[in-house]
Amino acid sequence: MDLFGSFALLLAFVCALYAIVGGIFAVRTRNPLLVKSARNSGMAVCILIMMATVSLVYLFVTDNFAIAYVVQHSSRALPTFFKFPALWAGQEGSLLFWSFLLSIYVFSVLWTYRSKHPELMPFVGIILASVQLFFLIMNNFIASPFKLIGQTGPGGVISWITQPDGHGLTPLLQYPEMIIHPPMLYSGYTGFTIPFAFALAALIGRYPGEKWIHLTRRWTMIAWCFQSVGILLGAHWAYAVLGWGGYWGWDPVENASLMPWLTGTAFLHSVMMQEKRGMMKVWNFWLVFITFMLCIFGTTLTRSGMVNSVHAFAQSDIGPWFLGFLGVIFAACLLAFLKNRDYLKSDNQLDSLVSRESSFLFNNLILLVACVAILSGTIFPVLSEWFTGQKISVGAPFFNKINIPIGLMLLFLTGVGPLLAWRRTSLESLKKNFGWPLLGGIVAGAIAWPLGWTDLFSLTCVVLSVFVTLTIASEFIRGAMVIRARSGENFFSSLIQLTLRNTRRYGGYVVHIGIVLVFVGISGQAFNQDKQVEMTTGTKATIGNYTLVCQAFDSTQGPNYTSERVSIEADRGTQQVMMLYPEKRFYDANQESGTMVAIYSTLREDLYVVYAGRSPDNDQPIIHIYLNPLVKWIWLGGVVVVLGTLLALMPNRAPVLAIQAASQPVTTLGGQQVIQAPVHSHGSD
Amino acid sequence: MAATKSNSKAWLSYAAVTFLAVASLLVPRANADHSDRAKVVGLRLMCMCGCNQVLIQCNHINCPSSAPMLKELEAHISTGQADDLVVQDFVQEYGDQVLSSPPNKGFNRLAVLLPGIAFVVGLGLVSLVIMQWRKQIPVAAQARRELQSKFSPDAMARARDLANRETED
Repeated sequence: MDLFGSFALLLAFVCALYAIVGGIFAVRTRNPLLVKSARNSGMAVCILIMMATVSLVYLFVTDNFAIAYVVQHSSRALPTFFKFPALWAGQEGSLLFWSFLLSIYVFSVLWTYRSKHPELMPFVGIILASVQLFFLIMNNFIASPFKLIGQTGPGGVISWITQPDGHGLTPLLQYPEMIIHPPMLYSGYTGFTIPFAFALAALIGRYPGEKWIHLTRRWTMIAWCFQSVGILLGAHWAYAVLGWGGYWGWDPVENASLMPWLTGTAFLHSVMMQEKRGMMKVWNFWLVFITFMLCIFGTTLTRSGMVNSVHAFAQSDIGPWFLGFLGVIFAACLLAFLKNRDYLKSDNQLDSLVSRESSFLFNNLILLVACVAILSGTIFPVLSEWFTGQKISVGAPFFNKINIPIGLMLLFLTGVGPLLAWRRTSLESLKKNFGWPLLGGIVAGAIAWPLGWTDLFSLTCVVLSVFVTLTIASEFIRGAMVIRARSGENFFSSLIQLTLRNTRRYGGYVVHIGIVLVFVGISGQAFNQDKQVEMTTGTKATIGNYTLVCQAFDSTQGPNYTSERVSIEADRGTQQVMMLYPEKRFYDANQESGTMVAIYSTLREDLYVVYAGRSPDNDQPIIHIYLNPLVKWIWLGGVVVVLGTLLALMPNRAPVLAIQAASQPVTTLGGQQVIQAPVHSHGSD
Repeated sequence: MAATKSNSKAWLSYAAVTFLAVASLLVPRANADHSDRAKVVGLRLMCMCGCNQVLIQCNHINCPSSAPMLKELEAHISTGQADDLVVQDFVQEYGDQVLSSPPNKGFNRLAVLLPGIAFVVGLGLVSLVIMQWRKQIPVAAQARRELQSKFSPDAMARARDLANRETED
């Protein structure tokens, strides 16, 4: 099976090479047979990579310890459930997994558009195959996951050996979330290859109009959604596994995932300017180029060991390869841009500073500044060492200081942007749209202050969250009321109709509500409490409204680990709310240990209990207790973001109505022409 | 006239609530006690085990650094030293790397300045773009505006919407 996997990867490399060379000839000669042949070769690459991936999974499941990668990341005692995440536990496997996910995207694109857009698709195929080729070079020649274990015998003869057992999987990955989190994040990273390929192809081929944006909108949203879910699952994993009481530590690997998300978010907003007004063409091209480059840069950071990270499970010396690849991408983008920049002239101009266009400009500016701030903080230790020879650290307090105000500005724009009209917004309209939400926000702040929200940023966050929620709610209510008045249906079904008539716009609003929930959850950090206590059976500890009573301290045996576990009864007032079992596991295969945090989670707060180890003085278990308010809102916000994105991906329910309305003869009312139009108060987005 | 009166009343109430909210922010907070001080100072320091975590948040199992460093911190605080002096002592012992934010001096000042520079440069670029857009209205755009002015904004919005839907995949 290892030979099969290696051969499939090698064949995929040859096919990718052919897809590029054949594609270039196809573009030059416009020979339809050559176009088809290059495309089929591109699809064959995908199938071969999928076969290689399946063969590596098979090697894990069948405990084939002749393969070095399997030995390093699995063991006989490892439950089969965790042999799947072992695929991406190390360098070689995670690079193959990247190729695998990319091949799913590439195959879907090549298949979906196999008989469409003949002027654009050959360019897209070449670019996609080029990206695949880079990863196939890695998979085949730099970091092959199918390497056998060799032993040099007498006379220098190498013989292949099979180990009796493997070293096991790192404990940090032995959590159910780890089966979902990396695939989600990788799907986000790889997904941005599609809009990148279409953008570069449109620029090189001087493809007219905004068609490339229409074609890639859904692909971009899918990649963005995966990236969002991946980031939130990663945060949840850090919260539930690392046991430090928080979910975001501004670790370089976390930052690496956030940066393309920020530029991707900026892109999703600014493309609307190009779609509606034919503006920001250059900007959109560069945004999508930068997003893709940040995805590659993120992988470089994670894999190269360039920066210290608690998350970097698979560090090696492949950094220069990725940096070289980044250089090639940048050069290709720059060349294409310089050669074809005359094709990117704006169709329109800005009519007013108080308009949807300007709000998008500022939204993009803030998102990009956030990205620069995170990027500079992440790589600054490296830069400082280069320039001054001194090592410095850039920790969470630095990132918080800079990014909290930026985040609040973004939250403000989340509320303001959608309610501004395209072209210009009148003062009357501003008053009408923002008066009550603004008042609501201020009243919420005035109520929150005496309730203990005395931290400036948390209070501002509450005020803005209420403001944004009310602006969005007013949009839904206003639209639904118009439909209800016209159709006579009840308010709820009018609301559903309104949403389904323009899923992109109202799905976007739902995403904004999700972001507000995430911000509310983050604002709870200002009220975190924690304490560390030594506990024996019968010992009590209190935090907030909770009393914790230690019931037992025992040891249990798992399938591939031994565990020390504390049983703690959590009471609120006189009522028992839950039994909590924080534990520490010691894995037999690799002699590593891991924490299992016990969490009692409610919408109001999380009671978070960690068994931190035994006291060196008296051998008693040390329990670290945290009370983290509002954390659940973050995960809830994530769910709402996903639902909103799915809604935005749905086709509009009643496009026929729009066509009908436009083609309907005008009716006369009091001598004036009245056109029956579908409900859209500020354009369609 | 009545509408103007009710409008000014509404704005007056907005202003009053805003004033109350802003005034309430100026109320001083209570002083932190000793254990809180350790947490505050601990936020300014990094754990030196290489985990890239702030000292008070590092809880790695068998971490060789955080426990002794936290004990050291408690000891410094119990002597009544000012926060800055405690941090300075740690810098002398471990070097600048122990600081959770880059020291605000020399080349490292750039870390603090970069986001601000990015914002100012970005704002400048946005302003330039806006000025460019507003300076010269292209002839074609002018003609389009004239054409658009013949139709109501509603009709134009509907036509644009229709065009979007038709070209949407």
